[in-house]
Amino acid sequence: MSKTKRSIRRVFWFLALVLFVSMGYLVKLVVVDRDSIVTSSYNRRLNYVDESIQRGDILDENGIVLAEDLIAADGTKTRSYPYGRTAGHITGYSDKGKSGIEASENFVLNTVDHNLLQRGKALFTGELPKGNSVVLTVDITLQEKAAQLLDGANGAIVVMEPSTGRILALYGYPDYDPNTILEDWDALQTAQDSPLLNRVTQGLYPPGSTFKMVTALAAMEYLEDWENFTYDCTGEASFTDKEIHCYNNRAHGTVDMAEALATSCNCYFAALAEKIGAENLLKTMEEVGMTAVYGMELPVSLNKVGLTADAADNELVETSIGQGKTVVTPLYMAMLISAVANDGIMMQPYLVDHVLHADDSTSDTTLPSQLRQICTVQEAEILQNMLQGVVESGTGTGAQVEGVTVAGKTGTAENATGNDHSWFVGFAPAEDPQVAVAVLVENIGDGSASGIAGQMIAAALETEQK
Amino acid sequence: MMEFLIVLSRYLFIGGIGLFLWSGIVYIAYEQGGFLGSPVTAVSLQKGIVIGMHLLAFLILTARTGFAAAGFGLAGLIFLLIAWWMLDHIYYDGCPLLINGMLFLMDVGLIFLWRLEPPLAQRQLIWMTLGLTCICLLPYIMKIIPHTEKLEWLYVVLIYGLLLATHFFGEEKGGSVNWLTLKFRTYSFTFQPSEIEKFLFIFYLASVFRKRVGWREFLQTAILSAGIILLLVLQKDLGSALIFFMTYMVLLYVSTSSELLFFLGMGTASAAAVLAYRLFSHVQVRVAAWKNPWADIDTGGYQIVNSLFAITTWGFFGSGLTKGMPETIPVVESDCIFAAICEEFGSFFGLGLIGIFLMILYRGVRVALDSARKYHSLIAMGVTVLLTFQAFLIIGGVIKLIPLTGVTLPLVSYGGSSILSSMIMFGILQWICVLCEEDAREKEERDRIYE
Repeated sequence: MSKTKRSIRRVFWFLALVLFVSMGYLVKLVVVDRDSIVTSSYNRRLNYVDESIQRGDILDENGIVLAEDLIAADGTKTRSYPYGRTAGHITGYSDKGKSGIEASENFVLNTVDHNLLQRGKALFTGELPKGNSVVLTVDITLQEKAAQLLDGANGAIVVMEPSTGRILALYGYPDYDPNTILEDWDALQTAQDSPLLNRVTQGLYPPGSTFKMVTALAAMEYLEDWENFTYDCTGEASFTDKEIHCYNNRAHGTVDMAEALATSCNCYFAALAEKIGAENLLKTMEEVGMTAVYGMELPVSLNKVGLTADAADNELVETSIGQGKTVVTPLYMAMLISAVANDGIMMQPYLVDHVLHADDSTSDTTLPSQLRQICTVQEAEILQNMLQGVVESGTGTGAQVEGVTVAGKTGTAENATGNDHSWFVGFAPAEDPQVAVAVLVENIGDGSASGIAGQMIAAALETEQK
Repeated sequence: MMEFLIVLSRYLFIGGIGLFLWSGIVYIAYEQGGFLGSPVTAVSLQKGIVIGMHLLAFLILTARTGFAAAGFGLAGLIFLLIAWWMLDHIYYDGCPLLINGMLFLMDVGLIFLWRLEPPLAQRQLIWMTLGLTCICLLPYIMKIIPHTEKLEWLYVVLIYGLLLATHFFGEEKGGSVNWLTLKFRTYSFTFQPSEIEKFLFIFYLASVFRKRVGWREFLQTAILSAGIILLLVLQKDLGSALIFFMTYMVLLYVSTSSELLFFLGMGTASAAAVLAYRLFSHVQVRVAAWKNPWADIDTGGYQIVNSLFAITTWGFFGSGLTKGMPETIPVVESDCIFAAICEEFGSFFGLGLIGIFLMILYRGVRVALDSARKYHSLIAMGVTVLLTFQAFLIIGGVIKLIPLTGVTLPLVSYGGSSILSSMIMFGILQWICVLCEEDAREKEERDRIYE
């Protein structure tokens, strides 16, 4: 019997161990794995709305309120957006489902610190406990400037800090007013130019001549004597079965890469692309992250790349000047030009800087993170110098700012919907880039993006210095 | 006011289960000769905690879901009080920790079933009343059939009869063919035969193993058990198959004390598991969902992923009763009830529940150690191992420690057959516990006479 008792004790320890392991695993689940599990988009608890609290605020970089809960004397709550449409695509709406930051930061806005204490206090004061607030990287004055500059033209403006990926302004027109989303809903749904679509992050456009930066980087990497490559431009040229024209069929004469970028010579880049080859150009497009999957706090449309490694010549030359089947978002172009300005390092773009608690402490501060190295430092520097030339004396003179060296690239994107889109991507000061911008104006037919970009850069530099 | 109470209740429930377990330790310490406090107070405190938890939970549920909850809460309270009164009388020498642990788990079940789906809670309470009646009658029934240890062949015939009946006439629910329906005129009654098989299996093994175990006994039990387990696997009832296997291994080990046989059995089982994985697609599906549920969230991994969301989203203290979203978890009222409890009462409370199963394991093993007859010792072991291992299977499953097999969490999950059989198992433990005490008293008296 004593042997039996020993066996019984051993069985006890075995099963006790199994239960202890379960306890340990449960603790590990909540302590270690929690963050990676909870953030899954399949977790419906993230959309949970606690009606018994005052939802947290959404604030701009300087603490200016972009969204807050107002409580009337009779206790009814309304969500108010003091800047309405100006920041609508960023804050999103909250009365008809949720979108924008209201959706992505819902859990934070619903979380009450010292829940028990606040609720206990509420019993006496009648004040609702308040959720945590979210502080953005956006400067609302820049946001207003962007809205003013687009002035009712369909398009997108995004301002970014190249060294960190902080987004200072992100504006798309048409916009909508989150305050009146319920009344406007049906009209917004049926509107021709889809105002609910955030053109910065979800609009897909042919990059036009801004793509020539990528073709240039491909040449630097794959053509050893690219510096000696020149082309005699007569304003038009044919490649296998494709005619390429320069803008207004203008003949640029014999140009090298710097001159071709400055004058935005299509024939030069088409000829260059033939030497690079589709396979190598595609590799560079991959290296600069054009094909990559990425995301941020707002829903993002991924770029669509139409080029294949075995593509025919016509597709290759069209892609090289940004006219093929490849389409990109303004956000991506801002990331790309930021990477050029940041010596080849592409940063993860972000909108949420930190979480602000009721006791004024902060947490969850976003740390800038690198996405990839798109080219070598030398290649980035060469390109930076060439882009200076574009604004100094080339197609981008409209973007000049007094007292500051601006670098950038213009683009005129032919498209199926009407007049050409106008692009400008650039950064300043060229010697020590503080801000980068991407501007797109739909179907405008001229180069007005450059002018808008210049004023945007001036405004951004002014607020940065403050 | 209610919002404040709900937030406060999160800490009260967790504090309650902590104090409940501590009281168990106080009681056990006294028994072992130490002193951490009065054992009588400890047992009363445990009862107070169950009643306090019950009242607080149904107060919140009444405020949030309406007055029907108050009525049900009152019915539940009356049930608890009657249960204590009857069990304390009938099993005067039984173990109070086992009674309190059982009622604690059952009450958590009632609270969450009402929160998830009130009609299920009502049905569960009816089954519990039936279970209580069975426990109370058990000592008298066992007196009427005195020689249960001699009926080994009857047990075998009944088990195989039930298994084969399920095989040919069974109904499929949740992927497994493990339900039988009895029809009598217009009445029909559906139950899980595997719950009855559990008792028969334990009594069968105890009847054989109470004697000296030679090759004949070993081979006979091994072959018959393997047949049972194989039939269960074929009926896609993997959880029950594992439970039966574990029960067999433990009882074999206890009666032979042979490590060699134990590891040989484990080795054979591992080989069989690999074979089953290769042969049966339903096994592969379960394993794949466990390895990486994220790869297949929409179908195979859906249940486990949602259960993980429930457990982790609100952290250790939970969302507060009625403030979570447990209805997003498939089969939450039976298989996944542990995830719902972790969601609203917090994962600390979930740890406490595992602690209660640990306490039950300890007390069950105590009963097995104390009983004078090997037959009773084996039955106590069988019942204890079966309950604990089943709890581990489903808790480990919903926290993704092991592949999810659809078994119930004993005493907590919804299910008539399940709650009835779990309660009777506690009754059997109590009955053996009382027998030990009687034997000990007789022995004492005999010793006194000889002196």
